[in-house]
Amino acid sequence: MIGVFAGLLLRALFVLTGAALATFALLWHAPGDPALAIAEARYGQNVSKEVLGFIRAESGFDDGFWTAFWAWLAPLMQGDFGQSSVNGRDVWPDLVTAMSYTFPLALVSLALGLAVSVPLALIATRRPGSWLDRGAVALASVGVAIPAFWLGLLLILLFAVQLGWLPAMGAETTTHSILPAMTLGFGVAASLTRIIRSGILEARGQPFLPAFTRRGVARRDIARDHVAPHAAVPVVTVLGLELAFLLEGLVVVEVIFARPGLGSFLVNAVFARDFPKVQAVVLLAAVIFVVVNLAIDLIYRSLDPRVSCRDA
Amino acid sequence: MRSVYVLVAVFALLALCGPMLAPHDPTAINIPNRLRPPGEEWLLGTDALGRDILSRLLHGARWSLGLAFIVSLLGLIIGTAIGLIAAQGGRVADWIAMRATDTFLAFPELIAAVVIAGVLGASTASLIFALTLTGWMRYARVARGIGLSVSNRGYVIRARLAGLSPLAIARWHYLPSLLPSLIVVWSGMLARAILGISTLGFLGFGVQPPMPEWGTMLLDARIHMRSTPLQMIWPGLCVVISVLTINLAGDALRDALAEQDAKT
Amino acid sequence: MLTVDNISVRRGVSTTLREVSFSLKPRCTLAVVGESGAGKSTLINAILGLVRCSAGSVSWNGAPVSQYRPALVMQEPRAAFNPRLSLWRSVMEPLVAQKLAVNAERLATLCRALEVQPDLLERRPDQVSIGQAQRMGILRALIAAPPLVLFDEPLSALDAVTQKHTARLIADMQEQEGFAALIVTHDLGYAAAFADEIAVLRAGRIEELATAQAFVAAPQTDYGRTLRDAAFALGALERVA
Repeated sequence: MIGVFAGLLLRALFVLTGAALATFALLWHAPGDPALAIAEARYGQNVSKEVLGFIRAESGFDDGFWTAFWAWLAPLMQGDFGQSSVNGRDVWPDLVTAMSYTFPLALVSLALGLAVSVPLALIATRRPGSWLDRGAVALASVGVAIPAFWLGLLLILLFAVQLGWLPAMGAETTTHSILPAMTLGFGVAASLTRIIRSGILEARGQPFLPAFTRRGVARRDIARDHVAPHAAVPVVTVLGLELAFLLEGLVVVEVIFARPGLGSFLVNAVFARDFPKVQAVVLLAAVIFVVVNLAIDLIYRSLDPRVSCRDA
Repeated sequence: MRSVYVLVAVFALLALCGPMLAPHDPTAINIPNRLRPPGEEWLLGTDALGRDILSRLLHGARWSLGLAFIVSLLGLIIGTAIGLIAAQGGRVADWIAMRATDTFLAFPELIAAVVIAGVLGASTASLIFALTLTGWMRYARVARGIGLSVSNRGYVIRARLAGLSPLAIARWHYLPSLLPSLIVVWSGMLARAILGISTLGFLGFGVQPPMPEWGTMLLDARIHMRSTPLQMIWPGLCVVISVLTINLAGDALRDALAEQDAKT
Repeated sequence: MLTVDNISVRRGVSTTLREVSFSLKPRCTLAVVGESGAGKSTLINAILGLVRCSAGSVSWNGAPVSQYRPALVMQEPRAAFNPRLSLWRSVMEPLVAQKLAVNAERLATLCRALEVQPDLLERRPDQVSIGQAQRMGILRALIAAPPLVLFDEPLSALDAVTQKHTARLIADMQEQEGFAALIVTHDLGYAAAFADEIAVLRAGRIEELATAQAFVAAPQTDYGRTLRDAAFALGALERVA
């Protein structure tokens, strides 16, 4: 087990290094002179040659790709995300502020999604094929097909514009979070309902279950001891994808609802060509994603004893 | 079940011939007619610049659906090639290909696409590049998985012994086994690409105005939400219905293949 | 001539072949017998270069065997064909691979000799009988006239009547084509009847290597005797002595 863990950890580290390299390479090869972009962002048009030279030297642009990569990576590994190329402020404090808006929203949405999808899937699978089941499937199918930005706009249209019940823009109060959380939670609930439902149905189809019934094991005990663990395996495996879905939704939702979280941070940084900020968010997203997937992998292995036998 | 395939065909046809059905020029600006409600002349009304919304939706199908088709097809080709190299090329090639796949999977796709398209400068070309670069990994995993199981079959071993070139082996022995699963993955990726293109368009990183892409149309319509809310409904509805149709077709296809598998 | 020189194959910590040596001349047949797990399949894979030898070497006339495109006839006749392609395509594959033209006359001769009905080649593997499929497997193996053909349990998927018939056909084809044959089998009766030499493989080692007559008459090892007596008991071998 320790060997497996070490293997997974090594792989995660490798992937993160690759991710850092890919991010840096993209920005390095971005069209236009990166030094000029920084200079223009800082000092406006008509930058003198001396200033450009200074910026090049400062960022290590003259010494080639690998030197510049290292000049960025080395401080990064000590937790120094550098300074914004636009206003020269440290990236990290701004990033923390953005996270303080994003993470609570993400957690609430995830909780909302689970709170809807788990009972819905349980009720739906009680009698597969019934109108309730069909309704749940239809709702989930439509839910997966609705782009988050459109759902958000529709909710604004209904609750903020037409009814005037809830605020649409900003993040000052808790009520500001209701519409964003509903938007994200709906998407999460839709895809989780599909997954949990098929997980339960598949687990119910296991060929050894009728033997328990015939021996007189109570339905409830079968569900708890044999169906639930089986159904959990596919659910856990797709949780990683679900997280990606959530992160992607966050970007869009924060832009629509004008919340100063990570998504807005990223989109604004991309528009302003503020590369240190872009790098910071992208890498942060990669770290979150890789760490959570590592955790999921470990849970998965503990749920399905067959997997841990295979190599990492 | 079969009606789903018919719907898919209708959408494909719409993406191909939509522009021919459009009653107006989708980019013709007509300020006096701006923000008209739905009526006889303009079936779905006009937008803030007086352009016919129906015509823009029909032309938009070519952008939203056509680009999604191109992007998902490019991903299919690249991903399958990488997966097959991993399955056929020995341990080193396998390791490199799979770590590359993991690395690309480390970014949530849409976030990576926003960054790539944004950094390269908003244009259709960078949109295609961004979505392709972030959309090949699932094909690669599926192709590798099935490829590894196929590589132990007798006929592949005999083809190798006979000296058949790796390309010919891939074409004749791997691809036919892969194709059904790849098509199922493809349907999912096509739906994702439609969502991705409209999302990037909505964020301003996608197809650039005045081209009528559904996401970009929503970006325009958003400002006039109060006065003409209907404008915001149509493009979104187009996205939802096309994604829903493709997802349902993909599900039907998967079930049909599973049934076929169970028979043999 | 096939020369297997002192090869060993290691898989992880276990060794599946240990210091195996023998040679096989054109037109000759060597049967490798032994129980399951003795390393028979590994031996075939090692000769074909499908697994790497940790020691020793395999060569044909001093050059790597793969240069001569040795052919393989498999135990499961249908698994040896791609289920999605017509049998014709699979049979022609060695010619396509080496960019050789189809010689219609040779094809007709081979079909006649192997009792393959040419019109059945249009079909897919699951549309012909097992015996027919195995004869097509042999046809495919021989079509590009390889100097060496390896048979991996060529009869064990067939019923008794077809077994006898197919064994006869293989021997006739060898007479006609002149290839060297290495036959892996657990059927000592088949080995004794059709092979020039018999090698007894046990736990990755060659226990005994002798001409077929000599082995049946007087095995030199205990294990060889056990094998022979078991075959006598089953009636698969006729008592020579």
